[in-house]
Amino acid sequence: MDNLGYLFAVNVFVWGGIFGYVFYLIRRSHSLKKDLDLLKETLKKDADHE
Amino acid sequence: MSDASQETDSPGYGLLGLAGAGVLAALVAIFIYVPTEKTEGVVQRIMYFHVPSAWIAFFAFFIVFLCSILFLWKKEREWDIYAHASAEVGILFCTLVLITGPLWAKPIWGVWWVWDARLTSTLVLWLIYVAYLMLRAQSEPGSTGARYAAVIGIVGFLDIPLIHFSVLWWRTFHPDPKFITSQGLGAGNDLSMNITLMIALGAFTLLYFLLMSLRVQLERMKDEIDRIKKERLYSH
Repeated sequence: MDNLGYLFAVNVFVWGGIFGYVFYLIRRSHSLKKDLDLLKETLKKDADHE
Repeated sequence: MSDASQETDSPGYGLLGLAGAGVLAALVAIFIYVPTEKTEGVVQRIMYFHVPSAWIAFFAFFIVFLCSILFLWKKEREWDIYAHASAEVGILFCTLVLITGPLWAKPIWGVWWVWDARLTSTLVLWLIYVAYLMLRAQSEPGSTGARYAAVIGIVGFLDIPLIHFSVLWWRTFHPDPKFITSQGLGAGNDLSMNITLMIALGAFTLLYFLLMSLRVQLERMKDEIDRIKKERLYSH
């Protein structure tokens, strides 16, 4: 079981990299969705005033 | 008004489930099913991460190449979105190749890195697509910058045949292809190794499509926000 540390490090980098990227995409997506909803709400208010 | 926000409400749970099942199957195959290789020992299992990462990076950059051509030809933003998304996912997998390779090389070769043809051309590929993403980060959709980036996306892909054939054309440290050989597919490997490699490749392919769908969705939402902001600006 020599060199098990290298295999462990590979798993940390591979799954850490992939799940880290998924996490980043989901967070960014939530933040953009909030912006989009806010914009739509503002547009609706503008339309109601006119 | 569309659709980007509605799309966000319905993420691809089917794809997520498939990718999750694929990853689980790959882990079982890599750590339980496949026997330990005799000469390299446990460290040989790194290959089941390294090789699929490389294949997916090449596939992702092929999509960049194809979509960049279509973007320059048809001038449709949709192709630009796919190219940009695929480049980002490709960089992720190419980075994993450049990390997992040295982690295998250190116990086997005794060094982390050598400047041989395959390693160097892979690093060049990574740098090309990092340049692509840096240019994209500085340019608006549909701008001249986006078109220049598309040209980089096309030209950069020409490095991939060089990477593939480098181990055959020049004397390198990197092992020869063990799966795609002149004797036939998988002729250089034990059957259980080929099966494990195929399962890992399938899992990474599903992950690629999952990441692509998330990244494309993000870009469409950005476009939708830009469109609304512009509409609002011009209406006042």
